[in-house]
Amino acid sequence: MIAFIIRRLLAMIPTLFFVSIATFIIIQLPPGDFLTSLQALAASSGSGADKAAMDNLRHQYGLDQPKWVRYVKWVSGFPRGDFGYSFEWKRPVRELIADRLGLTILLSVLSLVLMWIVAVPVGIYSATHQYSGTDNTLTALAFLGLSVPDFLLGLVYVFIGLFVFGASVTGLFSQRFADAPWSAGKVLDLSNHLFWPALILAVAGMTQLIRILRGSMLEVVGQQFVRTARAKGLSEQVVIHKHAVRVAINPLVSVMGMQLPQLISGATILGIVLSLPTTGPMFIRALTSQDMYLAGTFLLFLALMLMVGNLLADVALAAIDPRIRYQ
Amino acid sequence: MTTGIDRREFLRVAALGAAGAVSAVYFPTRGARGALAAMPEKYTEAPLLAGLVKQGKLPPLAQRLPAADDILVVKPIEEIGQYGGTWRLVWKGPADFHAYGRENYEPVLRWPRDPKDPIQPGLAKRWQFSDDGKTLTLFFRKGLKWSDGKPWTVDDILFWWQDIETNKELTAAPHAEWVVDGKPMTLEKVDDSTIRLKFAGPNGLVLQMLAFHGNQWPLNFERFGFFAPAHYLRQFHPKYNKDIKDYKLFNEKADDLNQERPAMTPWPVSQYRPGDAKLVATRNPYYWKVDPQGQQLPYIDRLELTLVENNEAAATLALSCQIDMQYRSMDLKKFPLFVQKSGECGYRVYKWRSAQGSAVLFWPNQSYGGDPVLRKIFQDKNFRIALSLALDRKKINAVSYLYQGIINAPSVVPDSAYFVPEVAKTYQDYNPKSAGEYLDKAGLKLSPDGKTRLRPDGKSLEVTIETQLQGADLDAVQLAAADWNAVGVKAVVKTMSRDLYWPRATGNEVQIATWFGDRGIEPFVDPIYIFPFDERSWMAPAFGTYYKTNGQKGEKPVGSLAEMQKMYDQFKVTVDRAKQVAIGKRLVQMAVEECMAINTVGATPVPLIVKNNFKNVPIQYMQDWIIMSPGNLDTIQFFFKKS
Repeated sequence: MIAFIIRRLLAMIPTLFFVSIATFIIIQLPPGDFLTSLQALAASSGSGADKAAMDNLRHQYGLDQPKWVRYVKWVSGFPRGDFGYSFEWKRPVRELIADRLGLTILLSVLSLVLMWIVAVPVGIYSATHQYSGTDNTLTALAFLGLSVPDFLLGLVYVFIGLFVFGASVTGLFSQRFADAPWSAGKVLDLSNHLFWPALILAVAGMTQLIRILRGSMLEVVGQQFVRTARAKGLSEQVVIHKHAVRVAINPLVSVMGMQLPQLISGATILGIVLSLPTTGPMFIRALTSQDMYLAGTFLLFLALMLMVGNLLADVALAAIDPRIRYQ
Repeated sequence: MTTGIDRREFLRVAALGAAGAVSAVYFPTRGARGALAAMPEKYTEAPLLAGLVKQGKLPPLAQRLPAADDILVVKPIEEIGQYGGTWRLVWKGPADFHAYGRENYEPVLRWPRDPKDPIQPGLAKRWQFSDDGKTLTLFFRKGLKWSDGKPWTVDDILFWWQDIETNKELTAAPHAEWVVDGKPMTLEKVDDSTIRLKFAGPNGLVLQMLAFHGNQWPLNFERFGFFAPAHYLRQFHPKYNKDIKDYKLFNEKADDLNQERPAMTPWPVSQYRPGDAKLVATRNPYYWKVDPQGQQLPYIDRLELTLVENNEAAATLALSCQIDMQYRSMDLKKFPLFVQKSGECGYRVYKWRSAQGSAVLFWPNQSYGGDPVLRKIFQDKNFRIALSLALDRKKINAVSYLYQGIINAPSVVPDSAYFVPEVAKTYQDYNPKSAGEYLDKAGLKLSPDGKTRLRPDGKSLEVTIETQLQGADLDAVQLAAADWNAVGVKAVVKTMSRDLYWPRATGNEVQIATWFGDRGIEPFVDPIYIFPFDERSWMAPAFGTYYKTNGQKGEKPVGSLAEMQKMYDQFKVTVDRAKQVAIGKRLVQMAVEECMAINTVGATPVPLIVKNNFKNVPIQYMQDWIIMSPGNLDTIQFFFKKS
């Protein structure tokens, strides 16, 4: 098992390398660079940054060098934890994303947990009470949850907050806690501000999981070993929870690997709607302003997240399903 | 008044006059501000600072203020203020620097509150031109201090000039205002608070530039300025610190948002790291202005700017009552929502007008290189007049701007000293028939089917309008295109992102260019919309490049455009203000008569949100970036009234 994990971790390095090339190419595709974009932005706000001044800056930032030189410079910093320089924020990328990445992961993990806490019991209930009134209601709700985009839920949440409760629901802290030192109240305030976005993010995945678990459960309860277990006189509780669920949950774990990056990219638009200081808004901003190293690093982290998610899922699968063995 | 003017028109003009009268009431300090207010007898400071003095963390007030005669006394707009409070605003990140920078407008000389007044004293308390207009002596206040308590001297100007402005690594070429006849100015230090600027010829723009660019370097991405904290920045400058090889660290440390960098502004940044959701700026204990009662300014303790991604997020904050005073990033279309929430949040919601000659301007490109026939057509004044007469501006005003715009010829707004009432209505009336006659005059015959106009070479006349505008402005562009199609000028609208548009437009590749028509109060510090000044002058970018590079690049302009460039040359060497305004007015008038740009409607308003207890904010105001709005209103005298 440990050898397997190490092998997988090592395999990530060449993959990340190819991803970095792809990322760099994608980010170079739009015409112009950060400074053309800055110049246009400056112009639309009314000032006119001079072309000569921009060329001067371009030289200082090394944007006048050939693309491959820039790529090599960028990539060669990785082992040192140097991900390049953000032109817009005038700071090394690493300093910029550290806090936001942490918060994004916190939010994603929180909504992953929420997703599972809700999906597993509801899925089991749905399957064991197939076509009952509750099952039908849950199914209807699940389809609704699946089809409503999370940013729309975010907007509804903001609207309710503003016009029903007259409170701002955006950001991470209420105003009186924003600059206050850490206290129990502040933690409570933070979790209150984090819970709802996490729930909104979780909704789509949650409903998806419910459907998967329901289907897989229905398949499993019809199988021979379940009937055997029943025939042996085990109670229904034990049959379902100990034997059936353990097998039926397998596809859920497989999807988990993909859910982490999905959550993170889903959090992008929600982050903008709710003004959360996560990586999402900064990523979009970096893309539009062609702040290439910052945008590239975000893309790279998304790819990394996908790989880590898959690895975790594989490990979890091995742990719960005795049929799976890694040599 | 001619008999042609209709009643409604008359009422509108009368209303404008009344608005002018109201604004006069709100600008009680018309005239020389420093000389008007008597010196207070004793000075007091904010409780926040008094506390620090008591703890021994700050020297007493008397040691922090400049010499008694040199303290600037600022008269509040409505009433004497009270100390304290946090002014909450929004900003959109470093590229939206002006959200912070304009509240902290602190130049060598200042734009007046009323744009028709002369330039006001700032860091320099007075100035003197030599008789030939070639030498300007600036007398600074004695005893000015940086926000870290170190003395401010003219050495900070010398440092900027020698090590930043004329340093090719940091500035490609010195800004045009410091160069006369191709020769950069020379500086002569008289003493610590006096400096002489010597030019190769008379410099009639230098006072305006000291009000506009005369800030601390760099003013973010514009990278202009007139002085810099030498004592702080020298340690990061390769010339003074041999351990440093390039200018990366220097740029980082000089950044406006670096909280370590000393400043002369009222609220230097005190708490901010790039990417933070909030930027906090706290009062400068060494600030050098007081109110008539001797209270050290500013009144407000802190600014707190919340980072938002877009105008929607800004509106959300406003609607949840978390803004104290803000106009930037507020959309006109949200005005009703703001009003709806005003009771609950305790807001006053006003409309501040924008100093746009026109919210959207169209420039037929007279130096267009792609098609010589089209270029000839664009150069024909009759064609441009026809386009102007074919526009139904009332419809555009109604559809795009909720009837809020003012129909007025392009280039400047009525508040400007350069406003020429005689041409305010020129070519503004919707008259498709007359437009057709002008097209005939331009030699553009109707096709046999009577639907399109034909070019002299027999092809049907088709023009492409390229635009980066969005929302209401884009609607205006579409409406205009429809109007032009109606008179047989086939107009195709091509929309694109700003990033794509900008290089095309400055590269002389666009047939009809579009942009906002701002800088309508002080157009001549950067007169790109008046005549071909540089590559951003989209009535003829190639002619503008020619002017900017002294004929090295671009194309030699023709006709009235060349004449206007010569007139601006004259403007630049005219030190006498009255004569200068006369030349400026003539230029404005020519731009209108030549119909360089086709306007839609101008002076469209933006909502201004002000908390009820946030005082000394005028109701009527024409905001523009050139005058650093609201910087020229003296943000330091805004205050929170305790009931």
